[in-house]
Amino acid sequence: MRQIIRDRRTLALLVVVPVVVMSLVGLSFTEESQILDSVAPALLATFAMFFVFILTGVSFLRERMEGTLERLLATPVGRTDVILGYLLGFLLFAALQATIILLFTIGVLKIHYAGALWEVFVFLMALTIGSVNLGIFVSTYARNEFQVMQFIPLVLAPQIFLSGIFLPVEEMPGYLQGLAKVLPLTHAVEGLREIMLHGKGLGDVITELAVLVVFAVIMLILAATTVRRV
Amino acid sequence: MIAIEDVTFHFGKVLALDNLTLKVLPGLSMGLLGPNGAGKSTLIRILVGLLKPQRGSIHVFGEPPSITNTSRIGYMPQLSALYRELSAMENVDFFARMYGLRSKQRRRERVEEVIRLVNLWERRNDPLLHLSGGMRQRVSLACAIVHSPPLLLLDEPTVGLDPELRVSFWEYFHKLTASGVTLVISSHTMDDAAHCDRLVFLRTGRLIAEGTPQGLCQATGRAEATLEEAFLYFIRRK
Repeated sequence: MRQIIRDRRTLALLVVVPVVVMSLVGLSFTEESQILDSVAPALLATFAMFFVFILTGVSFLRERMEGTLERLLATPVGRTDVILGYLLGFLLFAALQATIILLFTIGVLKIHYAGALWEVFVFLMALTIGSVNLGIFVSTYARNEFQVMQFIPLVLAPQIFLSGIFLPVEEMPGYLQGLAKVLPLTHAVEGLREIMLHGKGLGDVITELAVLVVFAVIMLILAATTVRRV
Repeated sequence: MIAIEDVTFHFGKVLALDNLTLKVLPGLSMGLLGPNGAGKSTLIRILVGLLKPQRGSIHVFGEPPSITNTSRIGYMPQLSALYRELSAMENVDFFARMYGLRSKQRRRERVEEVIRLVNLWERRNDPLLHLSGGMRQRVSLACAIVHSPPLLLLDEPTVGLDPELRVSFWEYFHKLTASGVTLVISSHTMDDAAHCDRLVFLRTGRLIAEGTPQGLCQATGRAEATLEEAFLYFIRRK
């Protein structure tokens, strides 16, 4: 964690990039604020997952490539503890990015939303934790930054297209609906829409929240088992 | 201290260690000598528990390598494997905590002690980014010895060091063995080999000879033979 804090350029990019991207989104919807209101939950979920995945995937890869992960695994600290340590460290920055995206969307882009802000935040954090674990898990299969980037079209693009952002899941062919329903982003978009557009509470989206929690736990277990002691 | 029996390790189709049998006695420095790809780093990573051999058995402190005995092992990998944005003090302190030095006071004293030991006191607060390769090697060594382990596994610790620094590293290694610490050091330079109490010549994962540096030279039949000549002699004989 201290390593990222000391790297001021990386720290600045962590803050600036989501702001720039969200500003572009806001500018493109200047004349269509109602459309922006309706797509905001999907954009929030997608950008949070996208940025967090890149942050975690590349940072964890660096730990592996520079040998610090291997060195840590040669200490008495257990493998699961090492992964949990990385998770907590990355989560701080991931939560910062997700919070920036959320506050910028609400405070600067001035979208209208119905539900409680803290419930939106809690829901977004569940997605963020899962995305951090996904980033760690996926980066164990990459040998360099280029390969991590190649996982974006493989892991993130299908979720973006199938999560109901462009076309409602119900209108997709049957086999794609089945696939869409097992993807975490679909449930994140659905849950955020319910809270932000229809003013529902966390209790009303407990199924979507549970899917995100289960996804986070599965990714954590997979990450802990695939972090090879090599 | 270390007992290795019939150990074989493959990286996919590549044979890294082939039926290796070896014993390392306590309080001695054992040099693993061989060219790149000889299996030196693989053996060290097996000893520290990072790799598991496909065949054979390994015992370190009388038990198979596991997380429980890593607190008694100091490991210095070939890559410096440190946090570049952090200072020398912060890196050593971090690994001291990972090795279980919980008392803040005790840890601080020990970190300062090893930083002085590797001659980096003046640069202790500089980020590693601003240190030379040799200085980073010293920080890496400090991280490996901070918990005062009775066994040190050092993977090419003198690579990239200037002659003066290399001599000071070896002076320190001799002090460690004199105090009862066991050292396993991999190297591909004969200069390092001459400093070890015992040597193992490795080639393509196989042990081709083992003994004291003097004994290996004498085995060539020429009293004035160098270690390099001894290494070539055993390769040709195999």
